[in-house]
Amino acid sequence: MFDFVGKRFPRHDGFVKAAGLAEFTFDVEVPGMLYGRIFKSPYAFARVGRIDTSLAESMGAVVLTPDEVPDALFNPRLLSLEEDTFKDWRVLTKTPRYVGEPIAVVAAPTEDAAQRALEALRVEFEEVYEPLLDPFEAMSPGARPIHERIVRGRRWVEVRNNVAAEYGYSEGDLETEERRSSVVVERRFHASRRYHAQLEPKGAVCKIEPDGSLTVWTTTQTIHNTKILISQVYGIPMNRIDVRKVPLGGGFGSSIHTNLVTLIAVGLCLKAGRPVKLVLTREDDMVHDHVGFEFYMRVRAGATREGEITFGELENTVDIGAHQVQAYPLLGASLGWFVSLYKWRALRYYGRAVYTNKVPSCAIRGYGAPEVTWAVETVVDEIAEELKVDPVEFRLRNYRGRGEIFWGQGPTVRSVIRSDGVPELMAKCSELIGWKTRGDPRSKSGRFRRGIGVGRGFHTSGAGGPLSGAVIDYSGAIVKLNEDGTVDYITALQDHGGGTLDAHAKIIAEELKVPPSRIRIVWSGTSTTVYDVCTHASRGVFVGGEAARRAAAEVKRKVLEYAARILDAVSPEALRIEYDRELNDAVIFVEGAPEKRVSLSEVARTAWQRNWGSISASVSYRATVAPPSFTVYFVEVEVDTETGIVRPVRVVAGADVGTVVSPELAAGQLHGGFSIGWSWATGDEVAYLRDGVPAHRLSMTDYKIPTVLDLPDDERFTVVFASTYEPFGPFGAKGLGESASNPVIAAVANAIYNAIGVRFYEIPMTPEKVLRALRGGG
Amino acid sequence: MLSINLVNTYRIPQTFEYYRPESLREALVLLSTIEGAKVVAGGTDLLVDLKFRRVTPRALIDITGIGELRSIGVGDGYVEIGSAVTIQELVESEVVGRHLPLLAEAAELLGSWQIRNLATVGGNLCNASPAADTAPPLLAYDAEVELVSLGGSRRIPLERFFAGPKKTVLERGEVLRSIRVPLYRRRAGWSFIKIARTSFDLAKVSAAVLLSLEGDTVADVRIALGSVAPTPVRARAAEESLTGTGFEEAVALAPELVAREIAPIDDVRSTAWYRLEVAKTIVKDAMRRAYERFLRVGAAP
Ligand SMILES: Cc1cc2nc3c(=O)[nH]c(=O)nc-3n(C[C@H](O)[C@H](O)[C@H](O)COP(=O)(O)OP(=O)(O)OC[C@H]3O[C@@H](n4cnc5c(N)ncnc54)[C@H](O)[C@@H]3O)c2cc1C
Repeated sequence: MFDFVGKRFPRHDGFVKAAGLAEFTFDVEVPGMLYGRIFKSPYAFARVGRIDTSLAESMGAVVLTPDEVPDALFNPRLLSLEEDTFKDWRVLTKTPRYVGEPIAVVAAPTEDAAQRALEALRVEFEEVYEPLLDPFEAMSPGARPIHERIVRGRRWVEVRNNVAAEYGYSEGDLETEERRSSVVVERRFHASRRYHAQLEPKGAVCKIEPDGSLTVWTTTQTIHNTKILISQVYGIPMNRIDVRKVPLGGGFGSSIHTNLVTLIAVGLCLKAGRPVKLVLTREDDMVHDHVGFEFYMRVRAGATREGEITFGELENTVDIGAHQVQAYPLLGASLGWFVSLYKWRALRYYGRAVYTNKVPSCAIRGYGAPEVTWAVETVVDEIAEELKVDPVEFRLRNYRGRGEIFWGQGPTVRSVIRSDGVPELMAKCSELIGWKTRGDPRSKSGRFRRGIGVGRGFHTSGAGGPLSGAVIDYSGAIVKLNEDGTVDYITALQDHGGGTLDAHAKIIAEELKVPPSRIRIVWSGTSTTVYDVCTHASRGVFVGGEAARRAAAEVKRKVLEYAARILDAVSPEALRIEYDRELNDAVIFVEGAPEKRVSLSEVARTAWQRNWGSISASVSYRATVAPPSFTVYFVEVEVDTETGIVRPVRVVAGADVGTVVSPELAAGQLHGGFSIGWSWATGDEVAYLRDGVPAHRLSMTDYKIPTVLDLPDDERFTVVFASTYEPFGPFGAKGLGESASNPVIAAVANAIYNAIGVRFYEIPMTPEKVLRALRGGG
Repeated sequence: MLSINLVNTYRIPQTFEYYRPESLREALVLLSTIEGAKVVAGGTDLLVDLKFRRVTPRALIDITGIGELRSIGVGDGYVEIGSAVTIQELVESEVVGRHLPLLAEAAELLGSWQIRNLATVGGNLCNASPAADTAPPLLAYDAEVELVSLGGSRRIPLERFFAGPKKTVLERGEVLRSIRVPLYRRRAGWSFIKIARTSFDLAKVSAAVLLSLEGDTVADVRIALGSVAPTPVRARAAEESLTGTGFEEAVALAPELVAREIAPIDDVRSTAWYRLEVAKTIVKDAMRRAYERFLRVGAAP
């Protein structure tokens, strides 16, 4: 059906990455550049007095201190509308609120000199407070306020009981629905903090151009929001800032906002008057910069004897650490995940985000969906068991599918589901794993016990919707036909490394009928692209790809117009365009008139030679829907009841992503999605010692993520794609990145239950906890 | 608190002199004349310590250029392993594979390919981590270490070499020259089991077993464990009690006997409780696997 979409092509950046030639932020070198090092707070909660910079300066270093950065508070993530943006950050602080918070920064001509200058700083701490590490303790009366006042939009607001943000919602008649229920299950869940473990630690290089404008290269999922925030914090006009797009070594949410290191680098560069490179080391990044959110959830849900879900209730307390990186929309999104999982006839939600003296949390693949899905899918499994209904059947009967209203990211982004592959995936995947043979945990014995579990989930494709909503979501693309018929594709949209832009190239190719190799993906910057909000919310292909398709369609329209002139056709509508394998080019022709035929390259050349002008298009696109990409995981595990070790035996991963633009890369997303989900379910967590020092002080030595050897190989990992078509997506495509991991924890937890008959309400489910539970330790 | 600003894993945030002598004598001279000099072999432990500022040597004496420390030889009744032999060389060595299969099994589980190609057996022992993977097998084989200094050399049992976490009895100016492993004369089964968070991690707990039977009676058993005490340990009392008992009885008794000889702790990798429980399990597992191998070795021509 398609010439390029769904086919395999070499990745545009494959060779340069494999050969080590790709230039990441770390590799950017600017003549005369200084190297920065950040002075991090050794205390979790303290007040800084005098900072003596004289020794460092006498060594030739430039030092930037909290008194020299703009006084205004900001939120590093620009996503919500201004009035719902909670601001509590400073570039450098005199009141560090977590171990590692930047207090000052030095710059010197070499990395070693920078380290020495850093060690020459004398920072006096006037007061060191007892840190608040537990959110419930932080909310207790009399607890020291971590922030007294913060800014919401442009107004100061008081912070009460260290609650950073709240969100409540209810719909329907809960009491009546509860009375109607013959089964009600209520459980409490705790999902601990995890590190993103993206390959590339964060960094930034900043340069002042001869005309005084700034060029910034940095690890980011959004170059335009980075530009806007630099402008807001430093008061520099936006057309004097060019944030360049550089390859990103993985995101998973860690660079969804403007990284603090970027803002610090800008301040340092402005003060030094010289280019500055500031890159985090692995331990800076891992121990002191960011983690995912920590959730404490209470779920209550019911169903009738006939197996119809009645009501659902979710109470959600999120430990966000010391600052907000859009905690408020997280509370709304968590509600969205909850609502859109099942057809609750009545629901109640309360969410709150709580400050603690720990590293600030930011989005981590799924933005709360993996945690909410785990909790709900556990409760749903329990309800099905109590009703003696097959859990797969129960889900099929009650999930929100085609024709239903779907919220995705929260109540302000609603749309109707038009493509839904869940029934197909459930049928195929359950068959492949041998669902019917899984057996009852009570009938299993022996040391090594196997179990099969299911988890179903989804993620939105972006955060678009018919109404403007509470968050910003639109994209842009520029497609330009060169005079020889080659194509330049210019976009701000960042590719995290998953091949999003290769998908775009195929989409443009499909629209223009030229091979993807003819399309160059230009490394651009904010000065040369139009706005794209961010590569987040699994929107890269669905929103960004559609923007690219529309720009290509516009170019095609002009091509046909010029071709009509060349071919003497009555109008462009009389023409057809198709890919000509022999020419390896698009050809435009009049059906039934073989001599009326011209290649796209010839059209481009003619337009140039005859002074008809450039063929190009710049498009800004807002999606009016954010369709769910559904995923279904069936996981088989084996539990060693004498060591508590859980091993993944087999995985069947089903995904409804509409048209699959890049099958092998999409399968890769599912492998990666399982890997990260498996790590959340069974691996390490980020914990803190009493004084607020992270327990994984030695970074990768102390905190492990699974390796390929710990995961099922290709033979034991089956990927199934649904045969759906999303009418709003580019050539029928939807998103994938986050749905690929959202139901994994749930499936693993349900599989462990099926093996040993124990349900866990806390993740990670480490061997220590599994063994403890098996020995009756609870 | 280790000040977090002193740590830098991109740059080694300290300066030191660096020497790469070609003879052991030269190394010993440097080591005794430069105050604060430290030996470096593969550097896979030491560089981490330097980056985290846990050690601050004035000079590093790289011993990997010293030929005599890099060979594996067979003497009269023993195998001698130079301290700078890499873990990967152990894995690939025919001598080790034939005479010390328990060591080969543990070496294969140490780190990754990249680490094994740098890491040395001497470094693994001198670093004195309770989790050192080569220690339990070498303890089980009754290995001795040869320590040399300008003043001469001494040979002590490996069991007396470890003095605590990250501590050995090495004195200033002293270098571990070689590890001498007496050949185990009996027909034996062996097994090394390592429990870790991922397949690329330090042990939460590990156990090495050498087993020899007469009929179905335990003629000799050696049990050594890692990560369950301040140093890698031999469970001597358990071994003694188990010798002379029937194999099945020995397997049943071993866990509780071994538990008496270990004192695990809580740390970032695991808990004391878990280590104790799982040590008991893997001692049993290792005995069974050793038993199967014992039978198979017997069956071989
Ligand atoms: C990523 C990673 C994974 C690892 N995984 C494992 C694992 O699975 N299992 C495991 O056991 N270890 C592991 N290690 C630790 C380390 O690799 C081993 O302990 C290794 O054997 C150390 O040897 P080396 O030659 O690198 O020692 P070095 O770092 O060179 O030295 C270690 C210490 O020993 C001293 N020293 C070295 N040689 C001598 C000598 N001949 N005489 C006197 N002193 C000496 C040094 O001064 C230093 O104090 C890992 C390390 C890393 C970085």
